[in-house]
Formats: sequence, C-alpha cells, structure tokens
Amino acid sequence: MRHRESGDIACWLVRHAAHHSPSDLASRLEEEWLADLSARRGVASRLRFGLGCWWAGRIIAHEHGAACAAPVSAASGHRLLLLNVHLDPSRWSRTTAVVIAVICIHAVLVYAFVTGLAQRVVAFIPTALDGGIIDVTRPHEPPPPLPPPRFAQPRVDVPAPVLTVNVQDAPTAIHVVSPPQHQPTVSAVPAAPPPVTRVLGGPGAGFPNTDDYYPPAARRLGEAGTTVVQVCVDTGGRLTAAPLVVRSSGHANIDAGSLNLARAGSGHYRPTTENGRPVSSCYAYRVTFRFKD
Amino acid sequence: MGKRDRDVRISLQTLRALEAFLENPADELSGADVQKRSGLASGTLYPILLRLESAGWFLSRWENIDPATAGRPRRRLYRLTTNGLTRASEIFASLGRGVLA
Repeated sequence: MRHRESGDIACWLVRHAAHHSPSDLASRLEEEWLADLSARRGVASRLRFGLGCWWAGRIIAHEHGAACAAPVSAASGHRLLLLNVHLDPSRWSRTTAVVIAVICIHAVLVYAFVTGLAQRVVAFIPTALDGGIIDVTRPHEPPPPLPPPRFAQPRVDVPAPVLTVNVQDAPTAIHVVSPPQHQPTVSAVPAAPPPVTRVLGGPGAGFPNTDDYYPPAARRLGEAGTTVVQVCVDTGGRLTAAPLVVRSSGHANIDAGSLNLARAGSGHYRPTTENGRPVSSCYAYRVTFRFKD
Repeated sequence: MGKRDRDVRISLQTLRALEAFLENPADELSGADVQKRSGLASGTLYPILLRLESAGWFLSRWENIDPATAGRPRRRLYRLTTNGLTRASEIFASLGRGVLA
C-alpha cells in the first residue's frame, strides 16, 4: 500500500532506501517502513525516521550482499528471511572504513607537504597578504567646536522637615528694636506736643510662609535658629531699603534665608501707624527657622 | 538453526530490541512499537529485526486488517519464536539481570 503523503521528504527517503535494498526485500521494507512512518507525527520525527530507514537500507544491502542468501518467500510473509547475518570478514566494517579514510587524509596531507605543494601554498600566502602602504596622512582640520554643555538641574530629594513657623503676625509678637525715643527735654517752652500713638508695623497679610524660605542647606545640616531682621517700610508696606540682620542666628544659612524672606515680603508689610495714620518707618522682627515636631 | 544462532551478533542495541519483546513475549510488535519501547533509531532497529528474523528468533507477518477500513496501512508484526525466547532468556540470565538499565 502506498502512503498518501507521497510528497513528503520522509516518504521519499523511505522509498529510496527500500528501492536500494535487496530486490527480494524492497517491496516488503517499503510497505513496512511506510506503515511505521504513518504512525509518526511531526516533521522532524518523520524526517529522522526517513533518514534512519535510509541508513537501514544501506546496512541491509551491505549485509545481504555479504551473506549467503537462501531462498526467500517474502511474498507470503510467513516464512523467515533466511538471511545470514554473519558478516564476511573480508568486508570492512564501518570502523575500519573510517580509520582507513582518516589515514588516507593524513597521507594526502603528508604527500602535499613533501612534494612541495605546501611550499607553493606558503609562498602564495605572503603575496596575498602583501599590501601597499596606505597613506594615512589627512589634512589637519580643527575639530568642530563642541556644543555647549548642558547641565541638568540636579534633583535633591530632601525629606520634608517638620517646622514650626514662627512668623508672628500679631503686632504684639514682634519685638521691635526701635530707635530711642527722642524725649524732648522739658524746656522753658511751655507748649508740649500732643501725645502720639505709634503702632509699629510688621509682617502683614499675604506675607510669605517662613517654611518656603527655609534654606535647603540649613535643612540638610540640621541648622535652626532665630534671626532678627530690620526692614524699612513705606506707607504701602513696601521695602524702602535692603533688609539688615540685626542679630544673627549663628548660622549663615539661617540668616540668608531670613533676608530672603524679608525681601520677598515687600508689599506685604504692615506699615507703622501714628495715630492711625501709616507712616514710613524702620523696625525689626524675628524670623525663626526650626524643625517642626 | 543452531548455526544461525551462533551467527547472531549480540550488541547492546540487539539486547534492547529483545528486551522490548520480553516485556510480554506473546506480544506482536511492529517496528514502530519496538522503537517506542527500546528507544532505538530506525536505522539501527530494522537491520536488527531482519537479522534476528533470519536467525529464527523472530517471526513476522503482515497485520490482518483492511487498510481502507482501518484508515491506515497494514503493519509488519514481529513476535518472538520459542527458540528466540529461550535464547534471549539465556542471554539475559547470563548477564545477571532481567532488563537493561
């Protein structure tokens, strides 16, 4: 019975192997191998089987040729194939053939070296490798200017400190270093000036949050403290001069942060009032930076 | 038969093929079945089957089916002969074990 997959490579190998087997076994082996091939699944498996059958056909043909063939009744299939499996000692085994092939290859190589073939090969190699001197001089060109480096702003992740804002909005909380009150000496002038009710200014509504101006360097170093800053403010709550550190906190970073806060608060200061009327003045107030609990 | 018995070359692959039949000596196995049991490649197995058959250790026959009805081609089935069973048992007994590792 012919196998359906006639176009299969494995089928072709099986048929090829069977046809090159001894003639009295060819039809039986072809049918038997094709039947076993039909039980195979997968291209690789079928191909392996086909190659194996191809090899088996060669072995069987070799053994059959070396054996003393006896009458065979392969058509019925019930009679044994009286094939003598004893190999003819005069025949070479596969191992012997491989050994002889290796010896032959070595003999050819030795012959090639002895007769000078190798010399010609060796002489050919330098010629093939001989080459001219390559002029590697190139015109000297100044390298193109490098593009300006771009530095990415480093991102510093600092854990948020717990700070206590000690910006005191209430006028009573601000310690003002006020200039000494000029006390008019009582003279003979009989007319005494009317009393003036003076209320010093300070940070007013919209004043920046102290935490926002806590210097990062001070945070990393764990610095905290209080700085007394003096500011001069006009009637609109704007700075009229650069703020000054009246009393340092002992930390340059804290002092710098205090000045930054004082500058940023321009326009949000509460002016000093005299008898309820805003006047330009200078006063001092405390800025405290410390970690919150 | 005795002369042919002496001619059988017992290799490791031959022992594996015989072992596949000795699992159940009454079984009739196709070449594909023996391959599954022994793990031998087809290029090794089929020459062994032919050698052992020609030596009288195996008998083979075509499977008695109708390929059109079965939907597959008929297979060649092999089984141990009495002589083959005796000889195989002797060989494995001489090796001191029943089955191959």
